Amino acid sequence: MVQPRIHASREPVLQLRGVGKAFGDRRILTDVTFEVLRGEFLCLVGPNGAGKSTLLKMILGLMEPTEGTILVLGKPPGKTPGAIGYVPQRKSFDRTFPATCVELIVANLRGSWPVVVTKQERDKAMAALVRTKGEHLAGRQLYALSGGETQRVFIARALVTDPQLVVLDEPAAGVDIRGREDLMELLHHISADDYLAAVMVTHSLMALSRTAEKVAYIDGTLQAFGLPSELLGHGKLAALLGGHTEDGDG
Amino acid sequence: MFEWWTKYEFMRNAIVGGALVGGMCSLLGVLVLQRGLAFLGEGLAHAAFGGVALGLLLDLGVRFHMDWLGPVWVAVPFCVCVAMAIGWVRNRGVATEGTAVGIFFSVSVALGILFVFIREKPSGDLESYLFGSLLAVRRVDVFVSAGLAALILLVLGATWTKMAYITFDRELAKLSGINVEALDYLLLAMMACVIVLSVKTVGVILVSSYLIIPAATARLMGGSLFGMTVKSVIVGVLGSTVGLVFSYYINVPSGATVILTLAAGFSATLLVRGGAALQGHSH
Repeated sequence: MVQPRIHASREPVLQLRGVGKAFGDRRILTDVTFEVLRGEFLCLVGPNGAGKSTLLKMILGLMEPTEGTILVLGKPPGKTPGAIGYVPQRKSFDRTFPATCVELIVANLRGSWPVVVTKQERDKAMAALVRTKGEHLAGRQLYALSGGETQRVFIARALVTDPQLVVLDEPAAGVDIRGREDLMELLHHISADDYLAAVMVTHSLMALSRTAEKVAYIDGTLQAFGLPSELLGHGKLAALLGGHTEDGDG
Repeated sequence: MFEWWTKYEFMRNAIVGGALVGGMCSLLGVLVLQRGLAFLGEGLAHAAFGGVALGLLLDLGVRFHMDWLGPVWVAVPFCVCVAMAIGWVRNRGVATEGTAVGIFFSVSVALGILFVFIREKPSGDLESYLFGSLLAVRRVDVFVSAGLAALILLVLGATWTKMAYITFDRELAKLSGINVEALDYLLLAMMACVIVLSVKTVGVILVSSYLIIPAATARLMGGSLFGMTVKSVIVGVLGSTVGLVFSYYINVPSGATVILTLAAGFSATLLVRGGAALQGHSH
């Protein structure tokens, strides 16, 4: 279990106050309030349909909350370009789309798809790949990567802009057991970073125990928030994660 | 050997006009193919039929004594409106893209049939819009195609890297601050314009292949997305030119010869590159 650290500066990187979301008459989330401090790794857990993905989309600025406020570094999401790195669930790519790992990473750096990658951009992409121990993947086509390799490249993509907050959406879902173990090591490394804050949706007890300093249990609203050691005694949370100890996310 | 070029103005118009629309279709075709929008191309081609039929019914050129004001000038806004409507229905989540295309496609064709039947004049010239014709491309069409090609090159030049990012992954593009919805509408509008202008060369029935075959051939050749786009344009322009010359020699509608030429190019590329491509995709 990851132990919470005492940091010299623990200013909040992400703040949610009374956040709610409804689609018409259908309410997804109500009154979610919590903070993620610099260097902190928060795991968002909850059953399917609990509103975790909706919450992530609002944090990323892809969706507006119906009520409440979300602040990333004191500003609304979308007003802090490059401050948030995003690692999606494992995506499968069209085998015919010609895209190399470096191009994917540079696309995030530029905010558009590169026609030609400059030396400076390649160096930055390589530095990000080195951070994720994925430098050997640089020139590979995305469709040819394994699940674990794909997520490694997506983490490099998220880190290339030197973000202050990384948002991960079930990164181990669909990744085989060996790839998942490597991925957990990488996530643990991110978790140990004093500068980077992270929010990760997960269903995996292994992922939670290797990374989380805080846990937020969401089920339509914030049911519980605190240290993993405190929350694992929470009946519903224990039951939820109990079913996902070996099979990773999803 | 080249008397078709030196002697006949209609052939020069057809060849230059065909090369221009072939190039534009192939350019947009890469984005259409990679986004899986082939059915949308088909739908817009059928919408072009409705627009052309409305243009023939209104007969604005004769009505206002302006020879250049052909049915295309009615078909372009008609087709752009249909494209925008399909985009709106899709983006609002009212219906899936397939459903939206299916509805607008059949309504446009139904309107086209209605316009043809209530038109008092005989509809002989409709055949050239359905199957394509060497004689249908006039000098004014070449000028319009050249103007549109320049505009599309300018717009795509300015937006290509963003269009390519959306083509790769819409969600990631949106997160990078790209206005995905606005660029979707822009692509739809460009597709509608190019499809209508291509109708004279290859006809309503075959115009969607004009979008797909050069891009599919270029995809077999491999390379980066940008390289694929350049190759697609070269294939489109070459296929269009060779097909139009065949049409002249064997005296059949140009749509058939252009598309068959492009299909032959695709088959030859598949034979040469197909094995390697399939091997590359198998692991």
